[in-house]
Amino acid sequence: MTNPKMLTRLLAAVSFTAATVSAQQPDMAASKATFDKVCGTCHTPESALSTPRTKAQWEESIDKMVQLGAKGTDDEFAAILNFLVSQYGRDAVTDAALAGRGGRGGAPARPAGGIAASAGAEDKHVVDAAAADRGRKVWAAECINCHGTYARGTDNGPSLVRADLVARDRYGNQLGPFLRKGHPMQSGSASANLTAAQISELSHFLHQRLYDTLRGSPIFIVHDVVTGDAKAGAAYFNGAGKCNTCHSPTGDLAGVGRKYEAATLQAIFLNPRPPAGRGGRGPGVGGPVAKPVTLTVTPPSGTPITGVVVIFDDFDVAIRDASGEYHAWKRTRDLKVVKNDPYAAHDELIQQYTDKNMHDILAYLVTLK
Amino acid sequence: MTLRTFASAALAAVALHGQEGLNPAKLMEAPVDTWPMYHGDYSGRRFSTLSKINASNVDSLSLAWIYRTGVGGIKATPLQINGVLYFSAPDHVWAVDARSGRELWHFAWQSKGGIHIGNRGVAVYGNWLYFLTPDCNFISLNIKDGKERWHKTNCDLDQFYYGSVAPLVVKNHIITGVSGDDLDRPGYLSSYDPETGDLQWRWYSVPQKMGEPGSETWPNEEAMKHGGGMTWQVPTYDPELNLVYVTTGNPQPVIAHKNRAGANLYTGSIVALNADTGKMAWYFQASPHDTHDWDATQVPVLIDGEIDGHKRKLLALAARNGYFFLLDRTNGKNLVTSTFLPVNWAKGVDKNGSPIPDPAKMPQTDGALVSPNQGGATNWPPPTFSPQTGLFYVGAARAYSVYYLFDLDEQPQGWGGTDRGGVTLGSMVQAIDYKTGKIRWSHKWEGGSRAGLMSTAGNLVFAGDGSNNIVALNATTGDPLWHAGLGAPVGNGPITYELDGTQYVVVAAGDTLWSFAMRSK
Repeated sequence: MTNPKMLTRLLAAVSFTAATVSAQQPDMAASKATFDKVCGTCHTPESALSTPRTKAQWEESIDKMVQLGAKGTDDEFAAILNFLVSQYGRDAVTDAALAGRGGRGGAPARPAGGIAASAGAEDKHVVDAAAADRGRKVWAAECINCHGTYARGTDNGPSLVRADLVARDRYGNQLGPFLRKGHPMQSGSASANLTAAQISELSHFLHQRLYDTLRGSPIFIVHDVVTGDAKAGAAYFNGAGKCNTCHSPTGDLAGVGRKYEAATLQAIFLNPRPPAGRGGRGPGVGGPVAKPVTLTVTPPSGTPITGVVVIFDDFDVAIRDASGEYHAWKRTRDLKVVKNDPYAAHDELIQQYTDKNMHDILAYLVTLK
Repeated sequence: MTLRTFASAALAAVALHGQEGLNPAKLMEAPVDTWPMYHGDYSGRRFSTLSKINASNVDSLSLAWIYRTGVGGIKATPLQINGVLYFSAPDHVWAVDARSGRELWHFAWQSKGGIHIGNRGVAVYGNWLYFLTPDCNFISLNIKDGKERWHKTNCDLDQFYYGSVAPLVVKNHIITGVSGDDLDRPGYLSSYDPETGDLQWRWYSVPQKMGEPGSETWPNEEAMKHGGGMTWQVPTYDPELNLVYVTTGNPQPVIAHKNRAGANLYTGSIVALNADTGKMAWYFQASPHDTHDWDATQVPVLIDGEIDGHKRKLLALAARNGYFFLLDRTNGKNLVTSTFLPVNWAKGVDKNGSPIPDPAKMPQTDGALVSPNQGGATNWPPPTFSPQTGLFYVGAARAYSVYYLFDLDEQPQGWGGTDRGGVTLGSMVQAIDYKTGKIRWSHKWEGGSRAGLMSTAGNLVFAGDGSNNIVALNATTGDPLWHAGLGAPVGNGPITYELDGTQYVVVAAGDTLWSFAMRSK
């Protein structure tokens, strides 16, 4: 973890988690019910809980589910995020710090009282981070030359992350007998002389390597994404992209380079809709309150009514107007419905950007301190 | 016989009637009073010849019954055999009266782990039912009472495999796929003896030794043997050719691909296997060197069609990567390659009809803007083909996302990256002319939809929209004709059958099975 901005963000995420837990604990049953209701429509809810995630990762997961059709209100998604972060969160700072040293602590958690849900066996090896750290020393002394820093193998020895023996091992019960039979070690000493504690520690280290290979592993982070040409980005902003039609570097975009981490900023300018997982009220680039998509409905004999979308399909349309009143209609040929999407221009642009455009725009936006 | 014993005998007869085994002849017929396998029949086209419910009367379709499992989401396509529906969710199987929705039995498995993301359904052979569990078990139940007959092992849970796909019965073979792309393991398709559960043959999606055909598309044996290619989809089958058509998943490592240079056969492919031996007859690669988790495990739909006035045995696939392929299923030769949505990841099409991946659109450290996204232009929910309209219908989604490389190691393993952000521009049903690959009509949904489809001789396509409705579209025009709100998105592929002169449509949404019937006409 060398990026201070990232660390700040992660610290913020953790403090959010702590605050959430204490403030929201009494509502956790209700949040769990919301989670079951919204997420359970597509899969057994527990299947989502196989890997503990940071708040940012849970937000990302929820956004992805919304893209795949998950249905819920902003409040429901906020409750779900709250539930996931507090019950199935990861300590992002600890993870990141450990990741910087090439490993992480902990194993996938199991929901209390829940069904077996995660990848792999229910009785899987649970990593003791401190033991894994000690195991790393044994690794460095005896194994690293042949099996590599990350146990992924070298020309002289196979990957142990992919080894069946390690996959089947629990706390050294396979590794121990294997090593006691005798296996070359780089110090020249006999592997049979490794103590039970050393074997257990090696086992913790190897399982840590194994779990860090799985998808969603917290050691997998976005690297440097600011690779573009800021000048070319400014030219695109004021030229072909016509971004300056709606935005100004000294107005609504002032300070975005300071406000957001680069990868987040990249995600926001590609699609500035508020992420569903953040409760829909988070600040978009466009202003302090995210603009909603609205419909303007004009009945055959009547004045147009505009409101946020509640239902919109081939058969029905329903909106909630600015005063909070709910209006619903059957869709007919005589009922005029116009969609007002404040983000439509971004949807047009995403179909036009080259990767160079994308990187250049980001390089420009990060200069807006 | 007293009245009482007569009544008992009559009851027993009714009960027995509902629990009869599957007549194997039903597997070779168009489904009318049954839905005897996952795709309805071996072709995978999910077309019903029933037309009591049709475009002119579908607005009278009404609720017959609902059955609520109380267990997560149903992704399974139910089977309907002798008036009983058989369907599953991870670790669970139910038998439900197809006329009334009444539960006959419920089997629950005590799990030892594995990913519980979904279960696509069961298979029935005679009096026996087969299904896979997340913890890698292959289980046989008695269809009469749901009691376990035996359980066998289909995969190694410690290697992070799991079970989710519905088995397929072909002659005396129970053919099952395998799931799991968390670690770098090879995918395979297995054939088991229906009586003993013993393995008859196993075909690996990746060659097992250098020098074998396909090994030239891998840099070394280590990469190849850990090269993935899970068999997430239920195969289709041509009884005349005795070929099973299986589609294979993404190569491993999934996103970080530095150590698996080459096309990575037979991942991301359609493969024809001899049903009795598992020997490969031919392959066609839909996604060479996939780096986007797209796989090719959509349904390989068999079409008996006509090209240039000649009757042809064809196979159509609308792939997750946005491409539509039409092949000659006797030999795998490509006849049509087109896109059913705009895509930006390929440089063109090679001489075999496979897309050529653009290296610039492979995952990058600073991100590559790619369409479709990881969810894909389509995904596992089944498409349908209507021989009446000559149209191949597929649920599609148009989306962009940014693919990042996280793991920069020379020997990446597992995933090593993912896609993030971006936008879904819309979801729709695309009606594709199978002969040309051209879009005949497109019906766009407001909101996201990932529902499976079914077409019928009533000129209908059943689908699910973004508002939790099941919707009937006019199969010729795409016009929406009927809907019913289900309170949750359509979660599987709908089925239809006729019992006692009544045509039913059964669909899952959330944890509930919904049955609609045409009772008035």
